[in-house]
Amino acid sequence: MQRLILGLFSAVLFLQSATIDRSRPPATPPIPDVKLPDREVFKLPNGLTVVVAKDSRFPLLTVRLAFLAGSKYDPQDLPGLSENVAALLNQGTTSRSARQIAEQSADLGGQIAASSQHDDLTLAGSCLTTTAGEFLALVADVAQHASFPDDEVELQKQNGLQVLRAQRSQPDYLGREALSAALFGNHPYSHIGPTEQSIAKLDKKSLETFRDTYLVPNNAYLILVGQVPPEAQLKTLIANEFGKWQKKDLPKYDPPAFPENRKRLILVDRPGSVQANILSAQLGPNRTSPEYFPLVLGNVILGSGTDSRLFNDIREKRGYAYDAHSVYTAMQETAYANAITQVRNDVVEPAMGALNEDLAAMSATDATAREMTQAKNLYAGVFILRLERQASLADQLVTVHTMGLPANYLETFTTHIRSVEPDQVRVTGKYWSPDKATVVVVGDAQKIQKSLEKYGTVELVKPAR
Amino acid sequence: MIKFSFCLLFTAALAAAAPPKIHIPIEKYKLDNGLRVILSEDNTLPVVAVYVVYDVGSRSEEKGRSGFAHLFEHMMFEGSANVKKGEHFRFVESNGGSLNGSTHTDYTNYFETLPANKLAVGLWLESDRMRSLAVTAENLANQKEAVKQERRLRFDNQPYISAITEKWPEMVFKNWQSSHSTIGSFEDLNAATIDDVSRFFKTYYAPNNAVLTIVGDIKIADTKKLIEAYFGDIPAQPQPKPPDLSEPAPVSSSDTYKDPHAKVPGVIVGYPGPERGSDDFYGLVILDVLLTAGDSSRLQLDLVKGKKSVIQYQGDVGWPFSSADDYRNPSQYATFFLYNPTFQANQIVDQYQEEIERIQKEGVTDNEMRRAVTLLLVSKLNELQTSLGRAQLLAGFEILDSKPEMINTLLDRYAAVTSAQVQAVAKKYLTPDRRTVLAIQPEPGPKTAATEGGF
Repeated sequence: MQRLILGLFSAVLFLQSATIDRSRPPATPPIPDVKLPDREVFKLPNGLTVVVAKDSRFPLLTVRLAFLAGSKYDPQDLPGLSENVAALLNQGTTSRSARQIAEQSADLGGQIAASSQHDDLTLAGSCLTTTAGEFLALVADVAQHASFPDDEVELQKQNGLQVLRAQRSQPDYLGREALSAALFGNHPYSHIGPTEQSIAKLDKKSLETFRDTYLVPNNAYLILVGQVPPEAQLKTLIANEFGKWQKKDLPKYDPPAFPENRKRLILVDRPGSVQANILSAQLGPNRTSPEYFPLVLGNVILGSGTDSRLFNDIREKRGYAYDAHSVYTAMQETAYANAITQVRNDVVEPAMGALNEDLAAMSATDATAREMTQAKNLYAGVFILRLERQASLADQLVTVHTMGLPANYLETFTTHIRSVEPDQVRVTGKYWSPDKATVVVVGDAQKIQKSLEKYGTVELVKPAR
Repeated sequence: MIKFSFCLLFTAALAAAAPPKIHIPIEKYKLDNGLRVILSEDNTLPVVAVYVVYDVGSRSEEKGRSGFAHLFEHMMFEGSANVKKGEHFRFVESNGGSLNGSTHTDYTNYFETLPANKLAVGLWLESDRMRSLAVTAENLANQKEAVKQERRLRFDNQPYISAITEKWPEMVFKNWQSSHSTIGSFEDLNAATIDDVSRFFKTYYAPNNAVLTIVGDIKIADTKKLIEAYFGDIPAQPQPKPPDLSEPAPVSSSDTYKDPHAKVPGVIVGYPGPERGSDDFYGLVILDVLLTAGDSSRLQLDLVKGKKSVIQYQGDVGWPFSSADDYRNPSQYATFFLYNPTFQANQIVDQYQEEIERIQKEGVTDNEMRRAVTLLLVSKLNELQTSLGRAQLLAGFEILDSKPEMINTLLDRYAAVTSAQVQAVAKKYLTPDRRTVLAIQPEPGPKTAATEGGF
């Protein structure tokens, strides 16, 4: 049995039980350094990149097969195509029906399903280690021989329409939909799903064309984390299941430029809303920029922890909201800063003011020493805690490979974070600046439009009901 | 220093065809003040979960104070003798940890996951608030607002949720202890006083009404000393009386809820369930897996695929109040369907009841039985990957069953269920005369002058 040695630090407990000083937190050693499992990376002759990380703690194997085939590759007249390919991938192959795929994967202690993001379409699954061979064969079949049976395509269209309607009854979805359209302009990142029109137009031919264009081995990364079969056996298995897959040139991808950040205030009318969902966002640099790590750290201080400025001000001090937080989301080609809160209708005006003040304050002064230490430690700790789940390491490896990041990206992440200086964090204020933010508010226009007008010209949008 | 780790958790993992067996080490004992302690050592990663669960939930609330257990949970983060408001979050995060708390019908939990060498910080924080919660009028007022906002966010502004969390419990339970919502009403939240908070704390937040579970990279002997030092001298209190949860005999009922936020129709179908831990209980869990778990389930294959009537569904023993693992009697079993609007709610109910009748008449195949046990095994393995997941299961089985070792024996109980038992359970419990149905109909919202067609 292989054993994975992850811990480089042994927990030492200091204790004088008779003289515990309860007035201050106990002194503890620094957060330990932990080594990630080694990864073996190799390429098949057809261009498929394979990444293997051993983690023997559980009798499970976690699998990802990621393609650079996300929603940004959707044809302009068929938004949601990548998402529909993903949904239908496990619904039938040339040799297995949807039912056979479902029953076989369940019998193997597994599950297999694909999802589509902005940049990638990823097949994700896991199985009991004892069934790894059969399970990988199933993954290979679904990836290479999906057949999009007519009745499954029809059902996907019928149910996809209802699911879209259900999603659009939720304020979160309406907010993300409007924000993406405004932030990304003509770039294909601007759509977050299909439209009723594109669902009506979806057919087998468009699904097959997308499959044949993008689901090719030289555009794919196979990532295995967990108890893996012995090396020679694994390599034979992978060669047998994925080796005959034909490589193919990919079409040129030439996206339009992103719009400049500029101040906008968009109100999405949702009659009957008892709250206003506020999003304040703008584009920023992605992982390849020197500004990235200060922004990641600044995001924690601004709004991503439970001790963040937004949480402490908007929720704990003012009681305007249950949730007030920020996120910095990086894609392959860009990234965006977003501050999010949901406030009751009668405090929309002061809440917008408070939010803008908190955002502007990020560039006015350096982050405090305490904030810096806390945010850095939070990252150092989370880095270790994340290793508990195979899926979490597998997903991080998908990011490293699909984003084209250096092989040691995960290893150097904490070092980069630790070297950020307090004055660098001021850059957070630049990318969350209220002067350049696209603000989207989802709520009952009759009740909140007046309160918003103080903050700029309101562009009113009424989604179809 | 390099540490050698041993795979103690699972045996036979790589042996040919035998499915893995779960073996989580358990050390259970009690402090003099009645605090129950469960320790589980695992040195494969330098991580530790500190998990405190109190035997109090929304079913313990008094009439006129709905939502109080949850409001109180918020107060537990508002400061204690040595930890000021907001500092709880600060100390956990600055030590590289994550944290949360949640209120359930039958218990309330508080937890941190930390780098293992920060264990003492977690114990210090949890013992300080168990010993000396500090409550001010200002913090209570502020948290009432946060909870009201939580209610607007997660309930009042969402489709389906009000029907599921407020209307449904009133239909399936006649006893107020079980039929009121965990989030509570605005009126009751407003009525809560500082005295209520102090009384609730003294009654329920005593060491003898709690379980402390620590899972991860610990040394048992050292950890016991630390626990004694931090928790040993917190005084015990009189044991609180468990709430009376008795229910009259179930009757069939049905109703319709008009939902202003919903755009796609839904329907909930449910039945009173068997006693927790009985053979029938395990049989019903297997039956639920057969009907609802994954793409190979009967509802997926027959209703979503075959009849193309149902779009999505979710069901569980205990739904929507909890999962099968963590709900006290009386239990119930319900499934929520979103369906294609070309069908009517009663057609969906009939199609579902036909699926059950088929099991009542024909039973289930051995293949399906094996598959259900495999699905349960894998789902448990996934939960067990994190120290927090293990702590949660151990503590749940202690607080509800006084048997934390069920974490290791549960799968055997499932594997022992026979096809005949599943058939018998379907016949005994899932019959129309015991059935409750709630249809959720989209109610067109106020008219607007919408002319633009979205984005």
